[in-house]
Amino acid sequence: MQPALTVPLSPAARGRLGFLALAGVYGALVLACVVTLAAAGDLSMGRNPWDNLLKSLADFSRPSFLDVWFGPTRLEYRGDDGVLLRVENRREVEATFLWALVRATWTTFQIATLGSLLAAVLALPLALLAARNLHAPRLLAGAARGVLDVARAVHTLVFGLVLVGIVGLGPTAGILAIALHSMGSYGKLFAESIESLDRAAIDAVRATGASPPQVFFNAVWPSVLPQFVGNHLYVWEYNIRDSTILGLIGAGGLGLLVSEAVSLFQWSRLATLLLVIVALVMGFDALSRRIREALR
Amino acid sequence: MSLVADGLVVRINDLVVEADGRVLLRLPRLQIAACERVAIVGANGAGKSTLLRVLGGFVRPARGEVDVLGRRLNTLDRAGWRGLRRETGQLLQGLHLVPRLSARENVLIGALARPGLPAWRSWTRCFPPALVAEAETALDALGLADMRHLRADRLSGGERQKVGLARLQLQRPRLVLADEPTAALDPAATAQACAALRLSAAGATLLTVVHQPSLLPLLADRVIGLDAGRMAFDCPLAAVDAALLDALYASPVRPAPSVATGAAPADASASAGGHRNDHDEPGLAARRLAAG
Repeated sequence: MQPALTVPLSPAARGRLGFLALAGVYGALVLACVVTLAAAGDLSMGRNPWDNLLKSLADFSRPSFLDVWFGPTRLEYRGDDGVLLRVENRREVEATFLWALVRATWTTFQIATLGSLLAAVLALPLALLAARNLHAPRLLAGAARGVLDVARAVHTLVFGLVLVGIVGLGPTAGILAIALHSMGSYGKLFAESIESLDRAAIDAVRATGASPPQVFFNAVWPSVLPQFVGNHLYVWEYNIRDSTILGLIGAGGLGLLVSEAVSLFQWSRLATLLLVIVALVMGFDALSRRIREALR
Repeated sequence: MSLVADGLVVRINDLVVEADGRVLLRLPRLQIAACERVAIVGANGAGKSTLLRVLGGFVRPARGEVDVLGRRLNTLDRAGWRGLRRETGQLLQGLHLVPRLSARENVLIGALARPGLPAWRSWTRCFPPALVAEAETALDALGLADMRHLRADRLSGGERQKVGLARLQLQRPRLVLADEPTAALDPAATAQACAALRLSAAGATLLTVVHQPSLLPLLADRVIGLDAGRMAFDCPLAAVDAALLDALYASPVRPAPSVATGAAPADASASAGGHRNDHDEPGLAARRLAAG
């Protein structure tokens, strides 16, 4: 069934040629992207990128929260003619912002936590249907797998945009968006945990004459629980990261402050926000990794 | 289910076990009385494990009547099977420990089906102190006292096998089915394991697949030889000698008879050139046994 080749090729040579062909296709794609961008004139870096970069870095290097302690207590805004327009106590203003930041962080945490939990609850029955070793009716198993694949394919932000239109602005939309997207991840992970169950160990417990609940609690539960907890921490951790940007579309939390700071060019506040986000994500990552390693 | 009360622990009539159209085991008649200790010998693929798996309910025979502990296997409902499994201790190849439970918890699994154990205790694995002490004694006897809190997936193959033996001990079965209980063990551990097996089978019927002829006197007073799915001999231990075992292991491996024709097996004493069992040199060991 092979196409007639004028030069006989060894399988190894054919494999190499195939790889070279794929690499060639990839190179052509990259080239096409660059050429079309350049042709449309979209490859520019703006008028003075270096000045902008240095200015942004200067702003970033003085995060706004420092003003709470070191800021001027009496910042005077004057018009061009020297008339005093407004006097601001920077320390008070930034303290207020810091307090808003704490509340937004808590909202982000709420969204990630409740969204993940809801996702796990929604995913569990679907995972039971989707796990290949439980032999659910084929139609139901296919439907469950389809739902999980679609949920995983649609980004949290897309779910968020749709849900903001349905349930309105605020954390509820964020929670539901996280839940719907993560349901797909959970379903896959849970199904894999169930599929990796040690069938022979279950048979061994059953062979002692144990009743079905005893078999469940002594063979199934100990094997599955650590994996479920590990999966939950993993997705939770992922969602903490994800929920920090959900505010960009009005779903509440830190993202709301980020979009505000970006629109008002308040780079020093953005620096504070990024510090908080990085600390939150890294702290939770480290904690979750520790727990997951202990569960192994 | 039908109860047969004649003191027989195992009674087999016209048993045929097939897999993929191949006959794995064909036993016209086999009876084992209470408290007998029976060893099953034979080359790889002779049907030894299959016989144990039939008795343990893991393999469904194609034909025939099998009574175990007074219960006819193909008539049992779920509760009947549970009752039979409670009284049958199984140490089969591929029957694992629960990997994430400790050695002690795995041993206590043997006691799950004991009457009088409250359900909540068996579900939460909070076993009464007396039972825990019993499990630790069993582990201690096998030299595993220091490892009782280690998880099963951290144990070596031999240690796992010993934990399986201790689990058997807590089950207090009336019939013990053991498939090569010493396969992964060194000589010292083999002696310990045999002692444990005899202890857990004290007052029970013991059916063991044995590959090392030197173990026969420890584990059996009756020996059944299987060859290519058929019974080659069934005799008391005293009648087993080197020649008998040599003939059994040396008979050339041949295709099992097909279901349709049920071709007669070749003469079991046909000699030379056959595949030998790779666990032990049966001739030598049997001669040692005969001399000792």
